[in-house]
Amino acid sequence: MFKTYFKIAIRCLLKNKVFSAINILGLSIGIAVCFIISLFVQEELSYDRFNTRANDIYRIEFNANINGGKINESNVMPPVAQALQKDYPEVKEVTRLRTLGKPHIWINEKQFDGSSLVYVDSNFFNVFTIPLIQGNAKTALLHPHSLVISKELAQSFFGREDPIGKLIKFSKKNDIPPFTVTGVFDKIPSNSHFHFDIFGSMITDPDAVSDSWLTSSYYTYAVLQKGYNHKKLEAKLPGMVEKYMGPQIKQHMGLTLEQFRTKGNSIGFKLQPLTAIHLHGDSNTELEARGDIRYIYIFSAVAIFMLLIACINFINLSTAGAVKRAKEVGIRKVMGSRKQELVKQFLLESLLITVIALFIAAILVQLALPLFNELSGKTLVFGFQLKPLAALTLLGLLVSILAGMYPAFFLSSFKPIATLKGKFTTHNSTYNIRSGLIVFQFFIAICLITGTIVVYKQMQFIQNIKLGYNKDQLLVIDNSWALGNKERTFRDLLLNDPRVENVTVSGYRPAGPSFFNNALAYPEGRQNEFMNTLEYRIDERYIPTLGIQMAMGRNFSPSMPTDSLAMIINETAAKAFGFGNNAIGKKIFREHGDQGQHLGYTIIGVVKDFHFRSLHEAITPLLMVLQPETGLIIKVKTKDVQGLLASMKKQWQTFNTVDAFSWSFMDELYNKTYTAEQKTGRILNIFTILTILVACMGLFGLTTYTAEQRAKEIGIRKVLGASVTQVTSMLSKQFIKLVIIACIIAFPLSYWVMNQWLLDFAYRIHLNVWMFAGAGVIAILIALCTVSVQAIKAALANPVKAIRSE
Amino acid sequence: MIKIRDLEKIYRTEEVETVALNKISIDVKEGEFVAIMGPSGCGKSTLLNILGLLDDPDNGSFLFNNIEVAHFNERKRADLRKHNIGFVFQSFNLIDELTVFENVELPLIYTGVKSGDRKKRVEEVLDKMQIMHRRNHYPQQLSGGQQQRVAVARAVVNNPKLILADEPTGNLDSSNGNEVMTLLTDLNEQGTTIIMVTHSEHDARYSHRIIRMLDGQTVLENIMV
Repeated sequence: MFKTYFKIAIRCLLKNKVFSAINILGLSIGIAVCFIISLFVQEELSYDRFNTRANDIYRIEFNANINGGKINESNVMPPVAQALQKDYPEVKEVTRLRTLGKPHIWINEKQFDGSSLVYVDSNFFNVFTIPLIQGNAKTALLHPHSLVISKELAQSFFGREDPIGKLIKFSKKNDIPPFTVTGVFDKIPSNSHFHFDIFGSMITDPDAVSDSWLTSSYYTYAVLQKGYNHKKLEAKLPGMVEKYMGPQIKQHMGLTLEQFRTKGNSIGFKLQPLTAIHLHGDSNTELEARGDIRYIYIFSAVAIFMLLIACINFINLSTAGAVKRAKEVGIRKVMGSRKQELVKQFLLESLLITVIALFIAAILVQLALPLFNELSGKTLVFGFQLKPLAALTLLGLLVSILAGMYPAFFLSSFKPIATLKGKFTTHNSTYNIRSGLIVFQFFIAICLITGTIVVYKQMQFIQNIKLGYNKDQLLVIDNSWALGNKERTFRDLLLNDPRVENVTVSGYRPAGPSFFNNALAYPEGRQNEFMNTLEYRIDERYIPTLGIQMAMGRNFSPSMPTDSLAMIINETAAKAFGFGNNAIGKKIFREHGDQGQHLGYTIIGVVKDFHFRSLHEAITPLLMVLQPETGLIIKVKTKDVQGLLASMKKQWQTFNTVDAFSWSFMDELYNKTYTAEQKTGRILNIFTILTILVACMGLFGLTTYTAEQRAKEIGIRKVLGASVTQVTSMLSKQFIKLVIIACIIAFPLSYWVMNQWLLDFAYRIHLNVWMFAGAGVIAILIALCTVSVQAIKAALANPVKAIRSE
Repeated sequence: MIKIRDLEKIYRTEEVETVALNKISIDVKEGEFVAIMGPSGCGKSTLLNILGLLDDPDNGSFLFNNIEVAHFNERKRADLRKHNIGFVFQSFNLIDELTVFENVELPLIYTGVKSGDRKKRVEEVLDKMQIMHRRNHYPQQLSGGQQQRVAVARAVVNNPKLILADEPTGNLDSSNGNEVMTLLTDLNEQGTTIIMVTHSEHDARYSHRIIRMLDGQTVLENIMV
């Protein structure tokens, strides 16, 4: 029996080549997109779950709200770990991690750069599942100056030699004792929220035993008792603030916790489940770029919709083409076939189409995955392993049932008498279902088009917004600190270069990696009104180099000795401190040094607000003091930037032969801030195009069927004098009507969704009617082009032939 | 073999009620060749559909080999049909996507005949119908007469007790028509009961008995001598 079903299925596929191609190609694209997104979503959802204790590990995060300024940091104070371990029996174990960047590494006088170093507590490998392939995980980091390095690094440092016991130096001079390699780990899985090359023993770090509850740089992870509700522990953490932090706040700020809190301020800790860090984390000091659960929802929806659209094509084309199969159904029923046998037959046909689509989808996935990886920044792989293949097969099975079920029941329910007498007509309800499905397809397509337009517009807005500083022609020297006391000489040389307009010594950059300095400050006489602000330590050239505008007052001047206690603030700070337009001459006090002294700074200028953070965040109060540290930002005035860079490099090498000259452009750093949105935008573009393509393929198929079924009617109309335009518009009208209905349904929903997306930007475009009208017009035009091809073909056909064929 | 009593079939739309069969009663004995005649719309095709278990009567009794089948469900009807009844249609109703051999094989597949037996039986019947040389052709590649011979082959391949023919020569020229009628007569002579709906007096003369219908009722029966 199956042999006959199979034969019929193959012959039907070959007979209706266009429709078969539409079905197979549509399903292939749908399955491929769905599968790629599934791989992406699976990877995102699997973050940190490779750890065997993943469900019991929580990261302690610090939250504060100080005069409206929110602090949300995932690194906390050094003694938090000890306090947790000591005071809360439900905490089984605590471990810490402190980042140290990418230091220079010397091995036998040979320099290696680019590897990331962290200090971790000795029990780190007991908490996190990072198996050591050499060394003992329990003892490797018990002693100072011990290191566990990655296998890759071990090979690069020591070749085939045994790395255990080898020495690694972090300074060319002998001012820091060398570290001994005590262990080698294989690789940290890609779905980990951190990736480092070298783990050093925390005991080496003298600051690790500090009892300061006011400085934070330790990522602290607690392992709770199995199944313990972390919310219960979280509820107890205010006790820790009272016990340990309160006295230090009192000592340094002269305020009791009670006084601090009366102004609506808050301070505390929360527990972030390890498995939620990647997608649900909200701290400002994350170890690596986070994912976003909203994008998971969006992409999952796109995957499901894409598959549904392809299934809808299958359903629509199968039911629209029912007339062609009606006779066969009738004959089979007369021959004694039962309904379930026919259902089986049609399901087998959909299975066959799906299997072919699966093969093509597998090829498409292989071809498209590198592109998707490039766009998403992932390293997803689709190997011919059991798990992904089984998943793909399951997906195929699901599709064949989803797409084949309705047509199977629909086709098998035909009455044999009517079909054999040629009196078969599809019911109105079938037409309505088909119309509903087309509306659904275009509803999705229009939502995606609207989304694409809004994302594009917002990205354009980000590119063109007046930032309050000029990011163009700004060159940032990433590692000018490496010049040491030659940094200023290097600056002076650059200032004498006619290709350079200005140079400022500052590591505070409005885009890209920047120095970061939170400062609690209050206006003179109002100590209780302290506020969390950001402090920039700059020189007198910072404001002109970056093209920041003065709103009032003046810039710093090195010729005025009093400027060492002068301050320039931004407009937001002036407003926040209640100075209005009278800020000049007012004093602001801030904590200075570790001993808690408070120094007053006189405001000499107010700069116009400029965006020194991503546009996701609102501009906050900024204080600038004349206290240049290190870092160089150069304003260039030449088109030959490469020539300038070459001579700078040459100059650099005369001062420093160890460190490579490293630079970035400020506008590129700025663009990188929005990489996630840009990537999402690009991925969305591709999905939108594919969705429209598949939806249009279905529409094309349906128009073809309609034209075939109405051939006689069209023939008669033409004989009676209908023009090609009239016939074309008659055929197109019914489909365009459906697209318009889809627009009406899609607009409110896409308005709501895109508005939610935009809310995440403190600075955003406003949704206007043209974005939606544009999406509607695009959808209608695309649908019109698709439908017209077949409609015109039908209208141009010889009417005599159509009438005779009936 | 067939005994119907007071059989009624009424087609209803929202506004109109059409009586297709009006309390009709007919008996057909095993081995009989019966022709049903009458003007268009008299109910002969409806009667044939009910006899072929393709349609339900609204009222009345239908005994098939002394079993009441009037209100059989679809599954029972399909089972009874595939084992006992063969159909020949005016428009042949062959499946375009299947070859001659595969079309004839179809009823055997539904009755669960094994592959080896199927091949043998299909070849036998194709040989008998003198269409063996066309076994691998598709219906569109055959003449009308050939297509109807394939349809007859398909109708008899399961050795049904009853063949229902709905205007079997309606789409054929006289020469091909005569050939098909000869085939049906031969089958009848070998013991198969045949009920044939026809407009053709010529074809009806091949039968043993002609039932004439009007407005859903039998109006006359002619016994052929």
